[in-house]
Amino acid sequence: MSLAEPQSRFFRPDRALLIQAAVALATLALVLGPLVPVLWQSLLDRPLYEAAPLFSLDNYSRLFGNPRFHDALGNSVLLALLSTLIATVLGVAFALFLERTDMPGRGLLRNLTLWPMYVSQLVLAFAWFILYGPSGYVTLAVERVAGVPLWDMYTILGMGLLAGTSQAPVVYLFCSSSARMADATLEDAARSVGAGPLRALWSVSLPLMRPSITYAALLTFIGSLEMLAVPLVFGKPVGLEFFTTFLYIEGLGAITPDYGLIGAAATLLLAVISVLLVIQGLLLRQSKRFVTVRGKAQRPKLAPIGRVGWVVCGAMCLYTALVLLLPLAGIVLRSVTSFLTPLMSPFDLLTLDHFEVLFGYEAYRRAIVNSVIIATFGGALATLFVAMVALVAHRSEFRFRRALEFVALYPRAMPGIIAGIGMFWAMLLLPFAHVLQGTIWLLMLAFTMRGIPMAFGALAPTLHQIGRELDQGARSVGADWWTTVRLIIFPLMKPALFSAYVLLFLAFLKEYAAAVFLFAPGAEIIGTTMLSFWANGSTGPVAALSVIQLAITALFVTLARRSLRTNKDV
Amino acid sequence: MSEVVVDRLNKHYGPVQALHEVSLHVPDGEFLTLLGPSGCGKSTTLFAIAGLDSPSGGRITVGGRDFYNGASGLDLPPEKRNLGLVFQSYALWPHMNVRQNLAFPLRLRKVGKKEQDARIEEALALVEMGAFIDRYPHELSGGQQQRVALARTLVFRPSLLLLDEPLSNLDAKLRIKARSWLKQLQRQLGLTTLYVTHDQSEALALSDRIVVMEKGRVSQLGTPEEIYRRPANAFVADFVGASNFLPGEVVDRNAAASTCRVKLAGGDVLTCLWPDTSAPPAGSLLTVRPEHVGLSAEPPLPGPDVNILAGRILERAYLGARLLYTLDCGHGLVLMAETETRVEGDTAWLRFAVDDTLLVRA
Ligand SMILES: Nc1ncnc2c1ncn2[C@@H]1O[C@H](COP(=O)(O)OP(=O)(O)OP(=O)(O)O)[C@@H](O)[C@H]1O
Ligand SMILES: [Mg+2]
Repeated sequence: MSLAEPQSRFFRPDRALLIQAAVALATLALVLGPLVPVLWQSLLDRPLYEAAPLFSLDNYSRLFGNPRFHDALGNSVLLALLSTLIATVLGVAFALFLERTDMPGRGLLRNLTLWPMYVSQLVLAFAWFILYGPSGYVTLAVERVAGVPLWDMYTILGMGLLAGTSQAPVVYLFCSSSARMADATLEDAARSVGAGPLRALWSVSLPLMRPSITYAALLTFIGSLEMLAVPLVFGKPVGLEFFTTFLYIEGLGAITPDYGLIGAAATLLLAVISVLLVIQGLLLRQSKRFVTVRGKAQRPKLAPIGRVGWVVCGAMCLYTALVLLLPLAGIVLRSVTSFLTPLMSPFDLLTLDHFEVLFGYEAYRRAIVNSVIIATFGGALATLFVAMVALVAHRSEFRFRRALEFVALYPRAMPGIIAGIGMFWAMLLLPFAHVLQGTIWLLMLAFTMRGIPMAFGALAPTLHQIGRELDQGARSVGADWWTTVRLIIFPLMKPALFSAYVLLFLAFLKEYAAAVFLFAPGAEIIGTTMLSFWANGSTGPVAALSVIQLAITALFVTLARRSLRTNKDV
Repeated sequence: MSEVVVDRLNKHYGPVQALHEVSLHVPDGEFLTLLGPSGCGKSTTLFAIAGLDSPSGGRITVGGRDFYNGASGLDLPPEKRNLGLVFQSYALWPHMNVRQNLAFPLRLRKVGKKEQDARIEEALALVEMGAFIDRYPHELSGGQQQRVALARTLVFRPSLLLLDEPLSNLDAKLRIKARSWLKQLQRQLGLTTLYVTHDQSEALALSDRIVVMEKGRVSQLGTPEEIYRRPANAFVADFVGASNFLPGEVVDRNAAASTCRVKLAGGDVLTCLWPDTSAPPAGSLLTVRPEHVGLSAEPPLPGPDVNILAGRILERAYLGARLLYTLDCGHGLVLMAETETRVEGDTAWLRFAVDDTLLVRA
C-alpha cells in the first residue's frame, strides 16, 4: 500500500531544490553584490553610475604612479609584518606556557588572554590613545619623571605593538588546541636524552606546532592589512597613510571622490588577500605530515618548569594589565571625567556630561539602539541564513554545493572597508536598491556578508559530527530533504547555532569599518558615531560610547555563558 | 659502575598507590625484566628511574649516585641522569628525520659535528638502519621506528638502558626476530638494561633475571629458570603459564626430600615438591603444567615418583602436534593436559611426575 508515496515522489524533491537554489542565489548575490562593483569600477574611466563608460587600465597606472599610494603600501606591509611578528611570538608563547607547562595561574590567565577578542579594535585603539597616546595619561606621567617622552604611539612601531597585542589572542586560540593535543611522550623523550624542560619546549613542542603557527601568522597578517582602527587613530594625525586609510580618506575626505582610483586600490588589496588565503589553504593541506603513528594512550602531562613558571605568570599578569586592563580602566575613567591628566586628581574632575550628551540627543540614542538591534536581530537572522548555507553545502545533493561553500567563505578576503565601499556602489547601480539605502537593513546585509565565513566555521564541524545515517534514516521513512533538515538536523545543531550566534552578535556589535560608507541619518551605529565624535576631537563622548559598548558586550557574554552552562545537555 | 639500586620505592597518584615498597638490585651489565599484567606498575617504576615521574618515597641509586632520595628530597631531573629510555610509542620526533633525531642528544652534549656524524653512523649501523638516515619517522615501518628509537638512545652512550615494552607494537614474527637481535646487542654493548614487558615468553627468553610485579608490589625476583620452575606463589605460577591449580590439605612433609603430601578434596593423596625450609602455609596450592600431565586409557603403573588421578574428558582441543584435554577429576577439580597421546573414550588416567609439581603459596 502506498499511502504517502505518490504525492511526495513528484512534488517534494522540487521543494528541496527550490530552497537550495534560493539559498545559493542569495549567498551569491550577497558576496558578489559588493565585489563586482569594485572590480568593475577599477576598469572604468569614470564613476560607475555615469553613462557610457570606457574600459581602461588607466586607474591602475594612476594608482601605481601615486607616491601617496606607494607610502601607504610600504607602511601597510611594514605594519602588517611587525604586528604579525608581535602577535605570533606572544600568542605562541601563551599557548606553550598555558597549555604545556605547569605554570601557576593557568586557568585565570587562559581567560584573560582571550578577553581582547571581545573588545572592538576601535575601542582598544581609543583606550590606548587615552593612556599611551602623545598626551595620554601614562605618557605624561612617565614624561614628568623621565623628563622626555619615552615612547611615541604615532609610529609604525607603536601601532604594531597595539595591533600585535590585540591579535595575539587569535594566534593563541589557533595554537592552543595543537599544543594541548601534543604528545607529551615526545617531550619526555627529549628530557630523557638530556634536554631541560625549556629546551624540550623549544626543540620539540614548538616545531610540532609549526603548521598552526604559520596558519595563525597568515591570519594575523591578513587581519593587520585590513585593519582600519589603529591606522586611523594613530597614523592619520601625523599623515602616516596605510592601505585602508588611503581608501578611507580618498572615499570620504575628498569632495569628489576619485572612484577609479578607489576601485583600483580596493581591487589590489582584494587580490593580495586572496593570494594569501590560497597560500594558507595549501599550507593547511600540507600539515598532514606532522601526524605521527602513536602507540598506547599517552599520558597527558605538563612540563614542570618550577620557578620559571612564577616569573612567566608574573610577566603575563603585568602584560594583561598593561595592554588591556589598564587601558580599559582608563577609558572608563575618561568617560566620567571632563578630562584626564596626571596633574590633577580625576576625582576632582568627575562628571556625567558625556553620558548626558549621548542620552540627550535623539541621533546618539538611536545609534546605540540600532547597534543593539543589529547585533540581536541581525545576528539571529544571519545565524539562520548561514545555517541554511552550511546545510546546503554539507548536507544536500545540491549540484553546486562545493561552489557554494567557496563563495560563502570568500568574504574572508574582503576587508570591512571594501565591503562598505562595494555595497555603497552596488546601491548606486541596482534599480530598486534605494529602498535599502539609509536603513539598518543595509548595514545588516553588509555585516552578514562579512560574518558568513566565521559562522560557517562554527557550524561546519558540528555538521560533520552528525552522522549521515540520521539523514538516511529520516529519508528512508519518507521525509524529504527539507523535513529532515528541519526536524532532525536543526535540533541537533542547536549548540553550534548558539555559538555561531554569540560570535555574530559580538562581531555585529563591534563592526564599524563596513559601516563608514553605508550609514546615514537614521541608520547610525555606535562605531560610526564614535568615529564622528573622534573626528571632532570629542574624546569624552567617545569614551562614554566605548563604555556602553563594553557594558553591552560584558552583559551579553555573561548571559551567553550562563545559558551555555544550563543548556549543556542540549 | 652502573648498578641500579631501587630501595622501598612508593608512588601515589592521589588515593591510588601505584607502587608499594618496590626494591630491586640490578648489578652492572645485567638484563633485568619487569614482568607483570597491565597496570601493575612496571612503567611507573621505569619512569621513576628515568626521572619522568616523581615517586612519593624511597630511594633510587644508579652507579653509586643518588638519583632520587625521598628522605632528603633529592630528585634529579631526567636530563641530568644520562639514561637511555625507549618508549613504547617510540616517541620519535616527527619533525626531524632520522639523522636529526639522533643528532639532538649529541647537540645537547656539545659534541662536534664530525664526531656527531661518526657516532650517528655507528649507532645506526648497530641497529642496521644506516640506509634510512634521511627518512622521516612517518616514512618508516613500526619495526624500523623501533630500531631508530633504540639507536637514538644508544648514540649518546647512556649508562643505563630502559626499555618500555619496545616490541609490543610489532607483529608476532618480527617480535621474535627483534627479541634475539636485542639480546645480542645488549650482550655486545654490556649495558645494564631494565626491560618492561607483559609477555612472559619475551621475559624468559631475554632476561638474566626477572622481577614479577603484582599490583605495585614485587612478587618474585629470580632467574628465568627460577621463575619458571619455582614460582614463589600462585600469581607468579599463573603468570608464567602454569594453569593447573589443585587445592588440598598438606598431610605430611619430607624435609629431606623437599616434598609434601597433599590430600585433595576427593580423597586422593598426591606428592609434590616443596623446596622451602619452612612448613607450607595453609591454603597452598599444588601446581603442575598441562604439558607435564600425561594421559592414558589404561591405569598406569603406580610408583613413588608419580601421581595418578582419574578423570572424565570434557573437551579435546586440537593444537596441531598436540592435543589439549580438559578433564573433570571430580569434586569440582578441572585439569588441563597437553599431550601427543590420543585417548579415545570418555575417561582417562592422568599421570605426572613429582619433579614436575610444585606447592605454591596462594
Ligand atoms: N596519572 C595517573 N593517575 C592515576 N593513576 C595512575 C596514573 N598513571 C598510572 N596510574 C595507575 O598506576 C598503576 C600503574 O600504572 P603503570 O603505567 O605503571 O602500569 P603498567 O604496569 O606499565 O601497565 P601497562 O602494561 O598497561 O603499561 C595503574 O593502576 C594505573 O592506573
Ligand atoms: Mg606501561
